[in-house]
This record gives sequence, C-alpha cells and structure tokens, in this order.
Amino acid sequence: MPLPPASGTGRYFAKAAKSIRLIRHGCTNRPFFHISVTHRRRPNSLPVIEQLGSYDPMPNMDNEKLVALNLERIKYWLGHGAHVTTPVAELLGLAGFFPIHPRSYMTAWRNRRTQRENLAEAEKEAESKKE
Amino acid sequence: MLPKKLLLKRSCPLIMQIAEFHRKPRWLPVAKSKIYRIPKRPEISEEERLELLRINNNYKTQMRAIRRFYHEEMIKEKSSLESASSEMSQKLEAEEWERCVQINEQWNKQVAAEREERRKIELAAMEEYALKRMEAKDKELQERILKASEKIKREKELSSTFITPDNLEAAIDHALANPVDYNFAIDLKGNIISGRDTQIPKPEKTQATV
Repeated sequence: MPLPPASGTGRYFAKAAKSIRLIRHGCTNRPFFHISVTHRRRPNSLPVIEQLGSYDPMPNMDNEKLVALNLERIKYWLGHGAHVTTPVAELLGLAGFFPIHPRSYMTAWRNRRTQRENLAEAEKEAESKKE
Repeated sequence: MLPKKLLLKRSCPLIMQIAEFHRKPRWLPVAKSKIYRIPKRPEISEEERLELLRINNNYKTQMRAIRRFYHEEMIKEKSSLESASSEMSQKLEAEEWERCVQINEQWNKQVAAEREERRKIELAAMEEYALKRMEAKDKELQERILKASEKIKREKELSSTFITPDNLEAAIDHALANPVDYNFAIDLKGNIISGRDTQIPKPEKTQATV
C-alpha cells in the first residue's frame, strides 16, 4: 500500500488532541521523516492533517542533516494546543524555536563521558604496553 | 487484524490500537525463553538525576510560557479577524483594493510594452532566419541542377558510341573479327605477357653454362 500523501488529506476533528510528530517516509536503511500534525491517537500510516516540515537524519555530502520547518504553521498549531513529541521538540530546540530539550543535554553529556572513558582506557593500554 | 484499506475508509475516529511494524500480535504470550528475564533498570547516579530534574523543570516552565504565548496570540488574531468586518475596515479595504488595481494596470502596461518590443525583435530574427534558409535552399537547388546538366551533357557525348539496333550487326561483326584475350601472365620482374597462347621469350643462356 502506498504511503498517504504528505500534503495533509487526513480527516480533521476540531476537538481531538493533535500531536506534532516525526513520520517515517524513507525506505529500508534510508530513514527520512516528515514533521506532521495528526491526531494523537492516530497511527503514522494514515493521512496526516498537515505537513509542517521534513527531517533528513542522514548527513549529506557536506555533513549536514537537513531540517525544513514551517514555523508559521507550527505556531498556529501550538496556539491550538497541539502536543509536540520529544524528537520534534529536540529538533525545534536545536533550531532555536524552543528552549534546548533536556534530552539533548543528557545525550551530550553522556556522549562526552563515554568519550572521556574511552580516552582514559586507551591511555592506560598505551602505558601498559610501554612497560 | 483488520485490513488497512478498511481502516482508511472508515468514517469514525480510530479508537483501536495498531502496531505500526510487523511484530508479534498483542494477544500472543511472552516467549518461553523470555519468561523469567527481568530487564535491567538503567543506573542513574544521584547527581545526574538531580541535574535532569532541574533542567526538566526549567524546560517545562519555559514550554508552558511559550504555549500560553502562542495561545494568546491565536485568540488575539481571532478577535482582530472578527473586528475586520466593520464598516471602517471595509472602506479601508476598498481603498487598498483600488490602489492594488491601479498598480496592477501600471505593471500590465509596462509588461505589454516590453512584450511588444521583444516580439518585434523575435519576429525580425525569425524573418532573417527564414530568408537565410530559403537562400541556402535555392543555392542547393542550383547546384543540383548544374550537376544534372553536366551529367546529361556527358551522356549525350557518350551516346555516339552506343550500340543501337541499327548498328548491332556491324558491332557483332567487329567483335567477332577482333577477339580480345584478357588472360595474362606475370613474371617475377613484373613483366605482363598478355594472351593465353603467347610464347614466352626464353632468357639467354649466358650464365647457365658456367
């Protein structure tokens, strides 16, 4: 079955809770995401209410991960009380639209810690080899 | 599981839950080998937990403020849209519309002038191109006629030697009287000896006797 169109043909219920979320549109081993508004209890395989942007998590030849955002519509949906999922909130935080998400900080410091540990281990090994 | 087509066609909001990927159905029990497996809880140090709590609280507060801001903005916009239908705003809108129409006409005129100019240039170029092509065609035709006339002239000159029913007998007689033998032999030095029955001149035996 083909994926639903990105332009937003999904059924719309004014009072149902909306969520702004990533919807995977890539192929096997090639993730690509649309940032879309849908009802909160709706599966990602169904048509969305509106697409608000896209996110390509694979770095391109300039080592960039491209994100496109329709900030005006995001503001509109936030005004109408749409929920924002964590990955989208992280992206918006990095874009400067929201404050930086706590999970971004957490991954950053955890990555730094593992890097430090790896470095220390490597140094230890080098010393033991010298002796 | 319901087929997905049916789900897409349905007319009421979806209440049931669907696993997005092709996984084991919800109603299947835990696998035998995984019954007594207890997943390990993540270990978070006290320091990290406190830090996470702090930044999460900050984030939630800020997000609440942002949400409220956009909600208030939405309400403000709605109210301004409602007030836009008053008489004063309608008059203003009409004026704006008039102004826009004027500007549009001005632009249209400008564009029309530009288009006319461009069309003239394009027409001239097209004419030139067509004339050039016609000239080239004429020239080619002339050349072909010249070539053909030359060929005709040559054939006419040659036609005096053709064999016709009138001089057929004479030609046959001539051919019978003068038989031509196209066979020939060639020796190592490249001398050509024509004819099948021609005698080969024998080389002088000056060196052979030595």
